[in-house]
Amino acid sequence: MSEELVMPRLSDTMEEGTIGRWLVHEGDAFAVGDVLAEIETDKATMEFQAYDAGTVLRILVGDGESAALGAPIAIVGAEGETADEAASAGNGATTPPPQDEEAAEPEPEPSPEPKAAPARRPSKSSKAKAASGNGSRATGALRVSPIARRMADEAGIDLTVMAGRGSGPEGRVVKADVERLISSGELTRPAAPDAPPAAESAPGDGELRELTPMLKAVATRMAQSKQTVPHFYVESEIDMTRAMQLRAELNSGLADSGEKISVNDLIVRASALALIQHHQAHRSYVEGKHVYHAHANIGIAVALDDGLIVPVLNEADSKPVREISRETRDLAGRARAGKLKQREIEGATFSVSNLGMFDVANFEAIINPPESAIIAIGATLERPVVMGGEIVVRTIMRVTLSCDHRACSGADGAKLLQTIKRLLQSPSLLLV
Amino acid sequence: MADLTYREALRRALDDELARDPEVFLMGEEIGRFEGSYKVTAGLWEKYGPQRVRETPISEEGFVGAGIGAAMMGLRPVIEIMTINFILVAMDQVINHAAKIRYMFGGAVGVPMVIRTPGGAGAQLTAQHSQSLEAWFAGCPGMKVVAPASVADAYGMMKTAIRDDDPVLFVENLVMYNVTGAMPDDPDFTVPLGRAAVVREGRDLTLVAHSYTVQRALRVADTMSRDGIEIEVVDLRSLRPLDAETVAESVRKTSRALIAEEGWSTYGVGAELAARIHRLCFDDLDAPVERIGSAEVPMPYSKPLELAALPLESKIEAAARGLLAESGIA
Repeated sequence: MSEELVMPRLSDTMEEGTIGRWLVHEGDAFAVGDVLAEIETDKATMEFQAYDAGTVLRILVGDGESAALGAPIAIVGAEGETADEAASAGNGATTPPPQDEEAAEPEPEPSPEPKAAPARRPSKSSKAKAASGNGSRATGALRVSPIARRMADEAGIDLTVMAGRGSGPEGRVVKADVERLISSGELTRPAAPDAPPAAESAPGDGELRELTPMLKAVATRMAQSKQTVPHFYVESEIDMTRAMQLRAELNSGLADSGEKISVNDLIVRASALALIQHHQAHRSYVEGKHVYHAHANIGIAVALDDGLIVPVLNEADSKPVREISRETRDLAGRARAGKLKQREIEGATFSVSNLGMFDVANFEAIINPPESAIIAIGATLERPVVMGGEIVVRTIMRVTLSCDHRACSGADGAKLLQTIKRLLQSPSLLLV
Repeated sequence: MADLTYREALRRALDDELARDPEVFLMGEEIGRFEGSYKVTAGLWEKYGPQRVRETPISEEGFVGAGIGAAMMGLRPVIEIMTINFILVAMDQVINHAAKIRYMFGGAVGVPMVIRTPGGAGAQLTAQHSQSLEAWFAGCPGMKVVAPASVADAYGMMKTAIRDDDPVLFVENLVMYNVTGAMPDDPDFTVPLGRAAVVREGRDLTLVAHSYTVQRALRVADTMSRDGIEIEVVDLRSLRPLDAETVAESVRKTSRALIAEEGWSTYGVGAELAARIHRLCFDDLDAPVERIGSAEVPMPYSKPLELAALPLESKIEAAARGLLAESGIA
């Protein structure tokens, strides 16, 4: 009995997916858990696993082609079966899921999330079987048992990639899955042993290692950003002399509390205040529309031993410097300990990346989509500058703002940077 | 620790309490000369005489009512209802009077009465004589409902029930009467009401039961441990007050819960516990709480059908394995 494989929901926000490549061919048999294809979503490239054994009868959406969520991408069935009957239901990449057609007939089980299309929907010929079975739920959706969700949160594991791939019913991620992820240090299962080698061959004969999911996510996201987000850069030198004096004054006042305001805290505060004054530099370009942000949620890049993570300081525009400092210290500490929760690394509208501590004079950062921009901070150094015709020693910090040209113009970016600079050079403004 | 049967342990508790407290007396059908239908009161009529081991006509409503009156006047009656199925004709006395009097009289008078009665099925006694109705009573405020599953608990909880100042429905079990177990030597041994007990420790699944089903649960745990699956068995012992916290503590450890009972699942002990577990342990659960009871039919007479209706070890094990499979474990 042939069935359609449909485009699964592999991320909460995806509306369509692109077949990166099929790892099976028409006529190939596959077993439960085999990776059938790599599917690119709005977030990442994910492996599409088989939930039942079968044979690929026909591939409807080829490598590099896209299909809407729930649209058929292949026909599978038993060996030797033909796909003709079921194939007529799916005409390839552009066919929307034939939900209206289905609506006239009783669903096997009412789905609480009508938008979540099942990854494997029986074609007409197999409807009787589905009706008498357990029904089809959204196997591509992320389903997690309560304790698995709690454990993943505590371990800072993003389970999105596990959507539909857990050991529980209909791919529910259960405790045992999270325990395996934690003990293996991987957020995803290792690739199937027979997976073909990567497209890019490694130079020389260096040691091959799988990327951790975090590194994989960074690789995918940054490549996607650099390839699809048109970056432009505006650069400036900021005189931090007064900001450093203010900082010294604040810290001597706070000495008893053990708290310490960092240069970065002042930059976060200045960026947040500047962002809410410049709406055109504080918006995201998402699917042809501009999303305006009411609050500045500032991502703060934290370097790890191998890789990085960007916890988010929410609504930084409404928080005083001391609160920003306190929260940042907490987030960074937990970031290094691997204890961030998923929601703490989501939702940034702008990021700050600071390599000043590595004596970097200046650098350019890559935007983390869909954020509007990112500011790269170099070292704060004493330098000779000309002021009022005199050469004087001032504390100078070089910064570079990377902006998404689809979201803002060069002038908008420049104005944003100008305001950040003005705030940092008149730092008492950071306190009001 | 000497070994006794569950029946002998109950008899010893009654004997000890009759000897200890002159206010205690027994009352019920054929409990004297005939020694009770299940011989729990054997020898007590000879020892304590017809004043304290009183025989009654077949009149459950009448002698439960008489017990309530005696209890209100300060005695401590222990009423035997031949099986829990026969308590139904006395339902008004139990629910509307015994359970209510302390409240209706502003706390001025209570009903320190024990109704002891066996439930359970498995002896081809068919639909009217095979019921496990304890959950009905456990749903009623003003009652205490207990159902011990071991020899020591039968002894220790009977003594506590007799000394309790409120009406206690003491549910025994037909199959349990001949079960042998260790009996503490301490003559002052008692077991508090309202406390569950972890009777076997395990890490993979919490199996909750009461009365004879605990014995089945322990056998299931033994079987499954051969496959490396460790089941924690919680004996509820009391249904009201219900010790949900001990169950929750276990579920927090195992992340999975199965409740087995010989009554019907619908509106049963499992239903109540499932609700409590979801509330107390929501973030600890790895799979939905599962329950198993007798088939939702009046108990058939036919032996194969009776076996098919009962929550036997094989069915409890299948339910446990189903839950573990949902959790990605064997």
